[in-house]
Amino acid sequence: MRLRRTDPHTLAGAYALDALGEADREKFERHLLGCEACRAEAASLRDAAGWLAEPAAAVPPPRLRGQVLAEAARIRQRPPPVRVTGRARRSWHGVGWRAPRLAVAIAGAGMLLALALGTLLIDTQHQLRVQEAHSGEIAAIMNAPDADIMTVRAQPHGSATVVMSHAARALVLTTARLPALPSTECYQVWLMGTHRTKSAGRLPPPKQGMTAPMIVAGLAAGDRMGVTVEPTAGAASPSSPPVLMLALPSD
Amino acid sequence: MTAELPGERPRKAAGSELAGLLAKVARGDEAAFAGVYDHFAGVVYGLVRRVVRDPAQSEEVTQEVLLEVWRTASRFDPSQGSARSWLMTLAHRRAVDRVRSAQATAKREARAAVTAADYDVVVEEVETRLDAQRVRRCLESLTELQRESVTLAYYGGYTYREVAALLGVAVGTVKTRMRDGLIRLRDCLGTDS
Repeated sequence: MRLRRTDPHTLAGAYALDALGEADREKFERHLLGCEACRAEAASLRDAAGWLAEPAAAVPPPRLRGQVLAEAARIRQRPPPVRVTGRARRSWHGVGWRAPRLAVAIAGAGMLLALALGTLLIDTQHQLRVQEAHSGEIAAIMNAPDADIMTVRAQPHGSATVVMSHAARALVLTTARLPALPSTECYQVWLMGTHRTKSAGRLPPPKQGMTAPMIVAGLAAGDRMGVTVEPTAGAASPSSPPVLMLALPSD
Repeated sequence: MTAELPGERPRKAAGSELAGLLAKVARGDEAAFAGVYDHFAGVVYGLVRRVVRDPAQSEEVTQEVLLEVWRTASRFDPSQGSARSWLMTLAHRRAVDRVRSAQATAKREARAAVTAADYDVVVEEVETRLDAQRVRRCLESLTELQRESVTLAYYGGYTYREVAALLGVAVGTVKTRMRDGLIRLRDCLGTDS
């Protein structure tokens, strides 16, 4: 008799015991994604399975302790995941956009960032020639004596690089490796102050994962810049948690 | 042998401490990492040894597991399960990965014959350890087929298909027994404390 195609639930035990082959495991993990009850069961069975290690406990070779501790001291630890969207979501309904503080890398990486921007400008040289006035403004901001250069990580991946001139009350924004969006959605840029949130327009479509420099003008002291996913036509106000947010420095 | 085991106190208490230690480890606290080692190196090493067998490889894998804890402590998410479960999952996966890698395949064939018998030896070693006794008692509450399916997979590092072949029963039966066995084990460990 052939085995009937079984309920994926029954794999929970084998999964918790790491007794699934690679293909079975991937299949089961896909199943878990869409089934909260199954995730809870799998976690509880995993916990139970973990206790089976107790009766196996044994004394490790004494030298191991020194080796492990010495080795650890030489290994850089992974940073924690930064949940910008999760935290922002909670404050989303409040007045204004009480942003979580994002790590803003300034200056130290300045050389690299300038190089990256330079490359981007070369990449988009054709567009810039077409839009000479535009490129003039970009150049003015980027070369302003008070220009600050900042980079910020986006969620779940990607980053934005910003060059901001306080005097010009404007910034140039480029992004790299943001998640690709379906044609029905776009990234929209916002300026959030204490009294108002205003749209700064949509990010241009990416080329090779990067978006061409975009000018955001009319900055006010204390503004934050955020980027959200919105319908392609754009939204009047942000309707989803920001994928990235940057507190703009006030001079 | 058991008298020298690091961390003689019940693991249940140590398990809840582990979450606190991990939070410190995530911030680069080397003393907290030494604490994790002292509480859990014995159980990690013992488990790895049980699965991998070869002492030198077991030592290597144990070191990998503990360094992985150091490296990724910041990724431990309490909402996904207990710290103990996180650590033991890491250890078991690493051990299983090691025995399933191509070069280990040949040695595993020979192991199949002895694995089932070793279960009794394991049990002998644990008399003085409270949690180990508890686990042993709970294992005894499983049916024979449940227990064999669970222990062959966990201690032997076999896939459920391999377990089915070893036991000469249908793959579907083994899957079910693994799940039922773990449910019974979980419920027993939860109530019998």
